[in-house]
Amino acid sequence: MTPILNVEHLTRIHGKGCDRCLTSTGPEHDTNICPHCGSVVAVADASFQLHRGEVLGIMGESGSGKSSLVKMLYFDDQPTSGRATYDLDGQSHDLFSLNEAQQRRLRDTAMGMVYQNPSLGLNFDISAGGNIAERLLMSDELRYGVIREKARALLARTEVPPARMDELPRNFSGGMQQRVQIARALSTGAPLLFLDEVTTGLDLSVQARILDLIMELQEESGVSMLVVTHDLGVVRHLTTRTIVMKYGRIIESGLTDQILEDPQAAYTQQLVSSAL
Amino acid sequence: MFPTDTMAQGHEGAEYGFAFLDEDAKRELRRSIFKAVCIPGHQVPYASREMPIARGFGTGGMQVTLALLGPRDCVKVIDQGADDSVNAANIRAFFSLTCPGVSGTTLTEAASVIQTRHRIPELPLRNDQILVFQVPYPDPLVLVEPNAATRRRMHGRADYARLWVKLYEDMVAFDEITISHRYPTRINGHYIIDPSPIPRYDVPKLHQADCLYLFGAGREKRIYAVPPHTDAIPITFADVPFTVEEFIDRKTGKRHCCRRCGATDSFLDEFPDEDGNRVFQCSDAAYCDSRLMQQEAAE
Ligand SMILES: Nc1ncnc2c1ncn2[C@@H]1O[C@H](COP(=O)(O)OP(=O)(O)O)[C@@H](O)[C@H]1O
Ligand SMILES: [Mg+2]
Ligand SMILES: [Zn+2]
Ligand SMILES: [Zn+2]
Repeated sequence: MTPILNVEHLTRIHGKGCDRCLTSTGPEHDTNICPHCGSVVAVADASFQLHRGEVLGIMGESGSGKSSLVKMLYFDDQPTSGRATYDLDGQSHDLFSLNEAQQRRLRDTAMGMVYQNPSLGLNFDISAGGNIAERLLMSDELRYGVIREKARALLARTEVPPARMDELPRNFSGGMQQRVQIARALSTGAPLLFLDEVTTGLDLSVQARILDLIMELQEESGVSMLVVTHDLGVVRHLTTRTIVMKYGRIIESGLTDQILEDPQAAYTQQLVSSAL
Repeated sequence: MFPTDTMAQGHEGAEYGFAFLDEDAKRELRRSIFKAVCIPGHQVPYASREMPIARGFGTGGMQVTLALLGPRDCVKVIDQGADDSVNAANIRAFFSLTCPGVSGTTLTEAASVIQTRHRIPELPLRNDQILVFQVPYPDPLVLVEPNAATRRRMHGRADYARLWVKLYEDMVAFDEITISHRYPTRINGHYIIDPSPIPRYDVPKLHQADCLYLFGAGREKRIYAVPPHTDAIPITFADVPFTVEEFIDRKTGKRHCCRRCGATDSFLDEFPDEDGNRVFQCSDAAYCDSRLMQQEAAE
């Protein structure tokens, strides 16, 4: 079966770049900054596949390029080079050769993103329901009654009290804001979801409840997910397969259980042992 | 219409070309007007000239009108439907002074160019007439997006979901869409315009009209157009119909009528009379007057 997402040699260099950027950075050089030109190699030559219905973890310490990777796939940022194809209903979309309108269309209707910082994923000046409405409107749902009903149902599903539907999310707790973001990301029934550090900074009990919710939603809908985190607990809780990144490179990948029990790379061993 | 340069003498011997603006300025305006007509609803930038009145008093509309007028034109100027307000009268006088040959009129049917603030005349306009709006705020997206470059991109790709979110929030709060003026209207299936502060009542007149509508915003330096026979659809939800002011008297359930001419088919201004009673009167003074004249003639 074709993977839903096939990423090949994806690279993102911040700065003017030079022909030695890739050979002078990475784990063996202990840096992601090119000593010759000063450019930051955020992601280098990343290749992986996400299978249909799979939850894939992207793990690594801060600055290793995890967010950069998903930002490109969600069209928040453009790669320096590389390719990614998204297989949607049997049709393959070459993500970075689409024009801007096609990219926006795909993102609005067939992708969802939950950011660590809710202010990136939500408009704090409109109500929680309005945030969901916006996403539905972007995918051409113009019936007020339907929008209202869907927003109500989605918020109920993500355990946001219906009474708070018409309030501004800026007044919500961090956990509640993440629930609204999740509801928004789910609203168009997209088969592909990106979650970037969605529980980072929340109370432990709140974290656990949100992870359970994500798990339940995934099992209900079979949505494919890329879950970015530096938290081993999240990886263990949600994912079946995991990629480990360091200085922009994928240094290890495999079944999450195996990686956690028997990490191969020294770096992964460090990550795992420091979390114990 | 477009005149060639005939020099006129102004006050105290100051010289200026026909229609006050120099020929370069008029050429630039006409280029922008043509472009606006070719891309219905698109806000076309132009170099706004200094006018002898302050920006915000209709300089955008005036420049468009001046670029259109030729010596055989007949111009009407209305402010909230009235020809005799100080503002309208001053602008009309300015046109007469700077455009030799151009006549002024208050009759809608006699005008070839009508400049307006806040209303569209009641009498349907013909294909040989142009209505020029004075526009204070040309961009409907300012309400949802502060950055001008982002707004331009949003217009380009018809990214208007956030305008609908405004309507959603309105429905949630009030159970109806409460926008009374400047109702966002989609032109030819793509661009959404701010039709200037006309009431909702006037919005349907933009749709598939015989005349040309031009919009001039002096402060923001933008011109846009709704050409004849073009779709102009006020935005709403599929299940929430767009409605216009109905002027229904809650006591009788019937429509209020104009206290002067008795019209029940016009946009009405409401104000207290000498005794403090609420009374209603046609906002379009020319329409009201012509009805009165007809009634007198019939008697
Ligand atoms: N816009 C940018 N300009 C320059 N450097 C950037 C930019 N965005 C990210 N980086 C750098 O790229 C690297 C990877 O960042 P990021 O993807 O955010 O890491 P992570 O999400 O794994 O913490 C970091 O060194 C970061 O400083
Ligand atoms: Mg990050
Ligand atoms: Zn370099
Ligand atoms: Zn009347």
